[in-house]
Amino acid sequence: MNLNILWFILVAVIILGWSVMDGFDYGVGGLLNFIAKNDEEKRYVINAIGPVWDGNQVWLILGGGAVFAAFPLVYASIFSGFYLAMMLVVWLIIFRAVSFEFRSKVESAGWRKFWDADITVTGLGIALLLGVAIANILMGVPLNKEHVDYQSLFSLLNIFGLVGGLISLSMFLMHGSTYLIMKTEGEVQQRARSYAKGFAIAFIIATLLFLIISPIFAPRLLGNSLGLIGDIVPVIMLIGAIGVILTAGSSSDIKPFAYSILAIIGAVASLAVGIFPDIVPSSINTKYSLNIYNSASNHLTLLVMLIATIIGLPLVLIYATYAYKKFGLKVKMDDSSY
Amino acid sequence: MDSTALLLARIQFGMTAFFHFLYPPLTIGLGLLLVITEGTYVFTNNQEYLRITRFFAKLFAINFVVGVATGIVMEFQFGTNWAQYSSFVGAIFGSPLAIEGLFAFFMESIFVGVMLLGWNRLSAKAHWISTILVAFGSTLSGVWILVANSWMQTPAGYKIGSNGIPKMTNFWHMVFNPYFPSEFIHTIMGAWEYSAFFMAGVAAWFLIKNNKDMVMRKALKVAVIVGVIVACGQILVGDIGAREVVKYQPTKLAMMEALWHSQKYAPETLFALPNNATESNGPQIGIPDMLSILSYLNPAAKVMGLNAAIKYINKKDSKLDHTKLTLAMFPPVWIVFWSFHIMMYFGFYFALVMLIALYLLIKDKLFDSPKMLKLLWFSTFLPLIAIELGWFTTEIGRQPFTVYGLLTTVDSVSKNVSVLDVGLSVAMFVLIYMTLVSFAVYLFKRELRERAEGKDELSGESAKAAN
Repeated sequence: MNLNILWFILVAVIILGWSVMDGFDYGVGGLLNFIAKNDEEKRYVINAIGPVWDGNQVWLILGGGAVFAAFPLVYASIFSGFYLAMMLVVWLIIFRAVSFEFRSKVESAGWRKFWDADITVTGLGIALLLGVAIANILMGVPLNKEHVDYQSLFSLLNIFGLVGGLISLSMFLMHGSTYLIMKTEGEVQQRARSYAKGFAIAFIIATLLFLIISPIFAPRLLGNSLGLIGDIVPVIMLIGAIGVILTAGSSSDIKPFAYSILAIIGAVASLAVGIFPDIVPSSINTKYSLNIYNSASNHLTLLVMLIATIIGLPLVLIYATYAYKKFGLKVKMDDSSY
Repeated sequence: MDSTALLLARIQFGMTAFFHFLYPPLTIGLGLLLVITEGTYVFTNNQEYLRITRFFAKLFAINFVVGVATGIVMEFQFGTNWAQYSSFVGAIFGSPLAIEGLFAFFMESIFVGVMLLGWNRLSAKAHWISTILVAFGSTLSGVWILVANSWMQTPAGYKIGSNGIPKMTNFWHMVFNPYFPSEFIHTIMGAWEYSAFFMAGVAAWFLIKNNKDMVMRKALKVAVIVGVIVACGQILVGDIGAREVVKYQPTKLAMMEALWHSQKYAPETLFALPNNATESNGPQIGIPDMLSILSYLNPAAKVMGLNAAIKYINKKDSKLDHTKLTLAMFPPVWIVFWSFHIMMYFGFYFALVMLIALYLLIKDKLFDSPKMLKLLWFSTFLPLIAIELGWFTTEIGRQPFTVYGLLTTVDSVSKNVSVLDVGLSVAMFVLIYMTLVSFAVYLFKRELRERAEGKDELSGESAKAAN
């Protein structure tokens, strides 16, 4: 295994880390206005992610930095090519990032209503756009000889992109619901159980739809270069989602969340397997595609970054474990809560 | 490349960087002050220090989230607007950004949740350690971001590969590039300086209303002691930083000092109206020989003027294929000159204000001097202006390069992004950032007003626990 393949796997792991850790933040945000009926319940739901969302968001920053350093051409061509879509995501993230703190500072009903709507819309928007962007990359983007492309915001909103968006949207909402099953009690938890089931079903339907239309839009996904593994990983997705459906109504608070993580592992692995060894396929000519070799940094950069990751990532897991432990499994509100 | 799109991309980068940097200095500096005040509480069990910490932590939180929100775009903007730059230097420039996320930003962001929401969940000591990790993490973030920025000023640890693209040859040479140490110390001290003025100004505001407020008296004391050390030290550090510019960025130095032609016994110009068209300064006041002394510790030393510096760079970088530099490619010299000079004058003002405050504090007159309290309140945000002017000097002074001597700004911008796209995003950023700043100011004021109206720093359970 060479450094380029290793870095491809590491970037997939970071995307997985982001989807698992920050995915439920967006899911919980997107659910806020539906699952919580009054201000007290809303605060309860927000405090389920309150102490941890900021740390989780760093996975996104890390992902950006890792792609920039390891595959600079991918970073340059995707971000500039998807210009307005990227900017839209950035604006949503900005308004999500300030929402919890700002909301808690003022008690007036209008102020809180504004931020509730903000939290819900930004959560849904980010969850949707992620899948749209990824489906478009899988389909291939019009990279020219210089690996430069340009896609307008509206050209990204094609059928395949939207189905991809439905996958990520239902996946994050499912993930957020199962997270709330784990973190809450009482009525909110009951509602989270039925939402988890519903979104798991939606996730399965969207995934099957995606697989059915893939031969038309992204034939490369079927003829993936890794053979058997490529056929197994989408099954993991479905097993995870079925697990959520079966356990969401049970007495277990943790199992649905664990199955949801399994579904996300399956989804990210399917994505990685489906696209390897390319990272951004060109729809103009496969020779113009960006792959793990022609888009990568030189050997020393990849090596230095690998060493940094080996030292740094365990530290991150230690900090995160400590923080999650300190706030306990179930949300308990006190005077320093949001 | 369309020159309008280039201009818009530059406006967008400048504006988003400007707005972003309104916040991190307070995160870094107030973080340190909170470590000091909370540490004092932990070791003396003096409740007043807990109250200082709890109150300023509320302001810290507001500032922190806006800093995080405005920082996100900085991570992606190199790719969206500066794709050519990213492809060219990503292999080198990307690594400090990734390492920043991994080693610093995670630490800071995970523990900020513990610190702000965990007052009742941790022992006093464990909470203090969380505060330390937030302050340490944010400072470490500064380290890696400034590694990336200083590398753009004085690139090192790389070699131009056979494809014409630089590749990293030595990671530590890249990290400890010549400009890094002084830029880092100067920036971090600027953050501490602003935060000391911030805490002093806020405390002074409360003391103007009620000078028997023992909590704010203690806060002011801490702020003045830290402030006087940092403000005096900063003058020295600034001087060292400028000497690095002399060595490595002659065009920037010439613009900072409005020196058009090389000169022995060069004066330190204090006032000038530099004009690029006439290549002269108009009326000008200066201290004779001083620039030569400051630059080379020798009054007879020759300091390179802008014209000579341009020739020097052209000759030095003749192997690179970017177009030969001409004066027309450089920014208006007055912007760099005045950014630098106003920042410098502010630096002396800050040291003076803090020295007077310290004198009054020692004489036990500070809390009874409404004039001095008003001056401190008036000065609360002035260091922020100085900080931004410092960045104007550094970043505009680096032009027409993005990476000094290696890559020009014209060759850095995304070729595939249209005027309409960038125009739209610039307009949105103006709107969004104006909204965010207004919200932040509104919430700051609200916190101050609520405390002035008697709502305590400690409420509910923590007040019970504290009493």
